[in-house]
Amino acid sequence: MTDIRTPNTLTTPPPPGAAGIAEADTLVRVDNLVKYFDIRGGLLGVSTIGAVKAVDGVSFSVKRGEALGLVGESGCGKTTLGKVILRLLPATSGRVEMDGQVLFDIPAKGEKPQRQSVYAGKEAMKKVRQNMQVVFQDPYASLNPRMSVGELVGEGPLVHGMTDKKEREALVRDMLSRVDLNQTHIHRYPHEFSGGQRQRIGIARALALHPDFIVCDEPVSALDVSIQSQVLNLLNDLQAEMGLTYLFIAHNLAVVEHISDRVGVMYLGKLVELADVDDIYARPSHPYTVALLSAVPEPDPHRRKKRIILKGDIPSPANPPSGCRFHTRCWLREQLGRPERCTTEEPQLRSLGHGQETACHFSEEISATAVENAVASSAPIPTAAV
Amino acid sequence: MTETRGSNEALLEVKDLRTHFATADGLVKAVDGVSLRIRPGKTLGVVGESGCGKSITALSIMRLIERPGRVVSGSISFDGQDLIALPEDEMRDVRGNQISMIFQEPMTSLNPVYTCGDQIAEAVSRHSNVSKRAAMDRAVDMLSQVGIPDPKRRATEHPHQLSGGMRQRVMIAMALSTNPELLIADEPTTALDVTIQAQILELMKALREKNGMAIMLITHDLGVVAEMSDDVSVMYAGKIVEASDAITVFDKAHHPYTRGLLASIPRMGVKRERLEVIEGVVPNPLNLPKGCLFKRRCPYAMPICDNPPPLREVTPGHVSRCWLAPDGGKPELGEAPSAAEAEAAAKTLTVANP
Amino acid sequence: MASSETTRPGAVSPLGNADTDEIDLVAVQTYWQLVRRRFFRNKTAVIGLVLLSILIFSAIFFPWIGGDAWHMTNLSKGPNDPISITAPLGYDNLGINIFFRLMKALQTSLIIGFSAVLIIAVVGTTFGSISGYAGGWVDNLMMRIVDVVLSLPGFFLILMLVAFIGSVVAPMFVIIIAIGITGWTTAARLVRAEFLRLRESDFVQAAKALGASDSRIIIRHMVPSAMAPVLVAATLGIADAVSTEAALSFLGYGIRPPDASLGNMLTGAQDYFYRHPLWILYPGITLILVVLAASFLGDGLRDALDPRQKLEA
Repeated sequence: MTDIRTPNTLTTPPPPGAAGIAEADTLVRVDNLVKYFDIRGGLLGVSTIGAVKAVDGVSFSVKRGEALGLVGESGCGKTTLGKVILRLLPATSGRVEMDGQVLFDIPAKGEKPQRQSVYAGKEAMKKVRQNMQVVFQDPYASLNPRMSVGELVGEGPLVHGMTDKKEREALVRDMLSRVDLNQTHIHRYPHEFSGGQRQRIGIARALALHPDFIVCDEPVSALDVSIQSQVLNLLNDLQAEMGLTYLFIAHNLAVVEHISDRVGVMYLGKLVELADVDDIYARPSHPYTVALLSAVPEPDPHRRKKRIILKGDIPSPANPPSGCRFHTRCWLREQLGRPERCTTEEPQLRSLGHGQETACHFSEEISATAVENAVASSAPIPTAAV
Repeated sequence: MTETRGSNEALLEVKDLRTHFATADGLVKAVDGVSLRIRPGKTLGVVGESGCGKSITALSIMRLIERPGRVVSGSISFDGQDLIALPEDEMRDVRGNQISMIFQEPMTSLNPVYTCGDQIAEAVSRHSNVSKRAAMDRAVDMLSQVGIPDPKRRATEHPHQLSGGMRQRVMIAMALSTNPELLIADEPTTALDVTIQAQILELMKALREKNGMAIMLITHDLGVVAEMSDDVSVMYAGKIVEASDAITVFDKAHHPYTRGLLASIPRMGVKRERLEVIEGVVPNPLNLPKGCLFKRRCPYAMPICDNPPPLREVTPGHVSRCWLAPDGGKPELGEAPSAAEAEAAAKTLTVANP
Repeated sequence: MASSETTRPGAVSPLGNADTDEIDLVAVQTYWQLVRRRFFRNKTAVIGLVLLSILIFSAIFFPWIGGDAWHMTNLSKGPNDPISITAPLGYDNLGINIFFRLMKALQTSLIIGFSAVLIIAVVGTTFGSISGYAGGWVDNLMMRIVDVVLSLPGFFLILMLVAFIGSVVAPMFVIIIAIGITGWTTAARLVRAEFLRLRESDFVQAAKALGASDSRIIIRHMVPSAMAPVLVAATLGIADAVSTEAALSFLGYGIRPPDASLGNMLTGAQDYFYRHPLWILYPGITLILVVLAASFLGDGLRDALDPRQKLEA
């Protein structure tokens, strides 16, 4: 007798993008999530001399049935965020709730009134894990080379009580066919497959427990261009067929645009913009988003656009700039004559209406002219950080 | 800097290059009949996915192929010189001097033990008779030219003290310190973040303007190719499958692989329900199909494709390795000619000077 | 739904990049089969394996058929007796059949070598895996213990143990234990390093995400992957243990006559070097062969287990 979730227990999700789903229930809630990695030093390596602020206060929610994309560059914390939500990494503070079940609720340092940390117990965690899965980036490292495909895909059901071998095999075959893999491959080993096929195996493994929620951590970045589209189509199809909810983490903006309903942009551990996918790409409201979109080279030799070139390198997450973290490279700030507010006051995520949120004091100043000026003033030989 | 030369005369001309690797599992024909031409001051983008042989092509040009790899045939002509026949010590004068190369991973391409300034100065003094001081001055000058602030201080730092983008700039500085006529850039921005990539690409464009340098840009990113290239060559499984100027390749692609690639990449601002897909996987180099190497994945595959397709002219200056007629219609020979007919046709159709 | 891939004829392909169709024509290949293929392609590794097998076989077979020949003195025979089929290496000054004594010595040395390595592997793996998996202060503490053990002069510790206890307990036993308790540190460090690495690896994280318990993750996912370096270290450790024992016995602190060991045969042969120089060669060359065989085998295993060979173009 197993308590594996079967497709029958799934509720039909509202179609993504349909109007009037303001009532759509939230599947995942993230509140003020913080993850610092301690930097050790000193004698015997025991004292903590600093911290890498990988995720520094991120809040958002993922609606049932939607695909939320998360983009950002190195050091923005998107991968760490995914792992912390899944409790693969312990959080420093914050609260994550999955389908009503609190995964953990750790008070922030110095939070008043003082309270205890709350963690979902072992049993509860195990149960919740059936409902939230992950697909990793590296198709070579994410599959145990010593296990056959059948063992890999069947491990989830096995761990959750499906001890009958025949039952498991039937389930595995079903999963393999859903990801377009030949069922006879059930006895084969990962090294016999190509990167794209291994990624499919990873997806099949994630699906085997019929989860509602899947964190996709750069699932196509390590694949060849001609294979990426195969896997992206598969992910899209599966979402529609099985009513999945995705947190899609990637650095390729075009890929994210293709698969997401809403997109969040991260920079140095903070969420700087969150909006519907169309709004983000057509009307970005944060200067970083504008620069990011401007920087992506387009595969069209006619449109060799002029770009906003950001100055300098991405600051270290161990030592983020004061106030708004983006201010050291912000073109809008330059345009506006370097207002003080950017260095002293850290902008919070605020709503601009129609679901678009931004963490910039001066989002309203972003206009076509401002962008043009920024492009024009981008130095021909761009200099590194001042 | 560049000598006056007819703009149609090639700076680098590679003809029918073949580089094979004798591995324990069999013979891998990493590069199998690649021809390309780079005009002075122009940028050639070489596009392809992993395993297509583009990096090996670059290494072959630089004569950096080691056992079990070997350049088995073909000619590489640079500025009139035959690079394959050149004795090693003369090749060393060319390498790093007239032809420079930058790589994908600056961390592993820069020596972690020496300072950045030393490494650039070494390149300078290797190729010119200047004093140590003059070489270091040139190094600092190069660092500022590539946009590194406070170059004097940075020159005394080691690679690990710099960020990825800065290290790539140092690599570029090193490569350009000898004023090469040709820069080979192998996936120079693939490991970099998008905003840093934009910086580096703009930098390369600016320096290209300033020095009149030709670039061979190797990448799998079609966006980067479109941004930077004058001409484009598309590689697949060790062969060139299409080549022309950038606009033609993007607008009027002929080869089904190129067309498949262009159709399958997600593009910003274009939201589609499904992406076009190229079915199948890149062929195993130890188990290549007979005839056209792309046939197993090609939506147009027909019996004629069991015969190796000619590299034919689609329009003047535009070649494609495919049996399809120049307008994309059925082959002139029909779908299933005899092997002999096909071979004969291939001979006539093949372009002599691609 | 994307269309399924149709089966097309293709040749056999051993590499991982095979087409789906091609895979179907090859027999299923487990990870260990792949390792075996890589191993047997390596000539020196095969030589090591064959050599070690011959040595092990000899160490079992010849003492068994020889019976007491290895220590039976016979004053009617001597070094001047010609060699024969039953005495291919002749007799020594006490009339003992040199060949059978050599085989017995080989047996003793190999028993000591393998047993000591077994202890090293078991103790080291347990220690290293706990340390690596636990992390934090437990890991820190355990590693400092390793540092302390490492700072003890191993050889002299063994010497002392044998000197003090060797008269009460059988020296062979003492030597095995002594080498074991001084030598486990390397294995512990290797396993710990692997565990630290594996803890962060994607497939272990995936198992965690599936809901697998800690014990399942350790036993099913981490230990098998961590064993590779231990296997290599153990094989190379055999060479080390055998040499250590030989050195001990040579100095007179290990196996003492009338018991046979490669080391004490060397000591004995010392006195007769000028008249019978071959007597040094017999145990000497045997010792060299054991060390070489174990080293080749160990290196070959390391290359076979390391999946880093990928052809990039």
